[in-house]
Amino acid sequence: MVSPVLLIAVPLGLAFLVPLISLVSRRAAMLVPVVACLFNLVVAITLMPGVLDQPVVEKIGGFPPPFCINLYAGPVGVLFAALIALAGLGIAVYAMAYIRTGPVDRYHLLYLLLLVGATGVVLTGDVFNLFVFFEILCISSYALVAYMGNKSGLEASVKYLIQGAVGSGLLLMGIGLLYGQFGTLNMADIANRMGSVNQVSVFVPLALIISGLGVEAAIFPLNAWLPDAHSSAPSSISAILSGIAIEVGLYAMVRMIFTVFGATSILMFMVFLGALTLLLGELCAFAQSNVKRMLAYSSIGQIGLILFALAMATSYSVAGGLFQLLSHTLSKALLFLAAGYMIYRSGSMEISSLHGMGKRMPLTSLAFTIGAFSLVGLPPFVGFPSKFLIVRAALARQQSIFTILLGFVLLGTLIEGAYFFRVVQAIYFKKGSGETGRSYAPAVALVSMFIFAALIIFVGIYPQPVADAVGSAATELLDRAEYVRSVLQ
Amino acid sequence: MSFLESYAYYVGAFGLILIGLLVILVKRNLIKIIIGLSILDTGVNLFLISVGYLASGTAPIFSREGIDSGSMVDPVPQALVLTAIVIGVAVLALALGLAVRLYQNYGTLDMRKIKELKW
Repeated sequence: MVSPVLLIAVPLGLAFLVPLISLVSRRAAMLVPVVACLFNLVVAITLMPGVLDQPVVEKIGGFPPPFCINLYAGPVGVLFAALIALAGLGIAVYAMAYIRTGPVDRYHLLYLLLLVGATGVVLTGDVFNLFVFFEILCISSYALVAYMGNKSGLEASVKYLIQGAVGSGLLLMGIGLLYGQFGTLNMADIANRMGSVNQVSVFVPLALIISGLGVEAAIFPLNAWLPDAHSSAPSSISAILSGIAIEVGLYAMVRMIFTVFGATSILMFMVFLGALTLLLGELCAFAQSNVKRMLAYSSIGQIGLILFALAMATSYSVAGGLFQLLSHTLSKALLFLAAGYMIYRSGSMEISSLHGMGKRMPLTSLAFTIGAFSLVGLPPFVGFPSKFLIVRAALARQQSIFTILLGFVLLGTLIEGAYFFRVVQAIYFKKGSGETGRSYAPAVALVSMFIFAALIIFVGIYPQPVADAVGSAATELLDRAEYVRSVLQ
Repeated sequence: MSFLESYAYYVGAFGLILIGLLVILVKRNLIKIIIGLSILDTGVNLFLISVGYLASGTAPIFSREGIDSGSMVDPVPQALVLTAIVIGVAVLALALGLAVRLYQNYGTLDMRKIKELKW
């Protein structure tokens, strides 16, 4: 039986080997993230069948749970770890060709640290440990946004850093209040004692933790940094930030609300916040003429949709939300990767500069189109089953308020369709100006895009295994008593 | 007065946190904003320490004779603060590094004048 500790320890060790390896060979250093992600993917997939029956609780340091820091590898944690490794693998392959200038070895070091932080957040069972991994994730992403060292990248990174650091301060304060109240940092132990205190007295830590994590999760109104950071970063970093970083923030938030606090009374508020984030994100995306900014705003919209589904807190809706999260990771990563080379070739981020791309870069354009259609939710791509699950779950609540909100969500999807079809139209049906010569993205980048496109189509046609996995993940997220029992037993 | 005496650390910690937030929100100079972040961090750290602090408490060493567990200072928050300080230093170093590069690119540290990016 492999241990879930390896999911964190091996990439962390490899991350700090990158500068040493690059002294010997720069090409070998570029391969390190690929190797680490491949390892994580294999470990996560080997763990998967086991944890679907029985979650693995890894005790670090040999003390029994409430005293040690424990890792909790349940269906949610392992599913997320597999997703992070998968997206990380595809993007690392792409970056081998895409990142050519600048201190390349440091890029790969920070990229691996970002993935380690994300994996740590989803696996840990200790609130302070969560904070530490969260900071690893955040600090490496601040640095990576500024990787190009150009004006817009630096400005976006500074804005992101200031907002993120304030968010982390609030999170740490919330954790301190929790420790003061319960005298423990173990998530299961806090959840166990939550019933014994006055609900009003845990409201302040809950509010601090939600607003602290909400900055990274880009929930409205805490998301002012996201459009700048995601559009100014190198495209491979935009892909990992949109695909992994904000989802991990959202996961941490949902874990806190569902498992640690069991705060069912706040869920209706989160449903509204989700629908609002969705509508605002999609409306802003519609107004953009810069393709990367459009994709960044669309990420805000998608996060809103995922939050809307998760906060409805029925087993169907949580499964739908997690499925949507997975489909957003795959589709948005593909979109950013394809857009990266289109921008590279046309030299501009304006949508108007993409006219005629369908003839000049046929394969990259096809990849962009697959990603766009999947995000909008057309069959046979992965976006269709996930959105379908959310719609079905909202209707199954049989309350008029959810039906009305669902109407707004569908309106958001309609707007999303409108602006994505506009770009696809520009790519295929508008005459390009000037050069008509064909050019291709490098083969390595095309391979990485092909992996994502193939996964999007494969899971879209054959969603049952993924639907089963997210189904049991939803059961784990909603079942507090089982979580507490399996950690503390 | 007794309120201030028993909660002096909390008042101080939240005072520092609020001062830090105020500096971040009001100041335009990036270096001052970073100083604000540092004050905010210090406030949070002081708050964490005061959660576990006991006036005239002792070190939590169980092997010593004649010590009861009620008079020990809780060591966990101190361990947490040690980690939090390290994280704070990393963020601060990165922020100052970015500030240097920003100054080289824009020739100013005034955040009002640095707006390449718009909605």
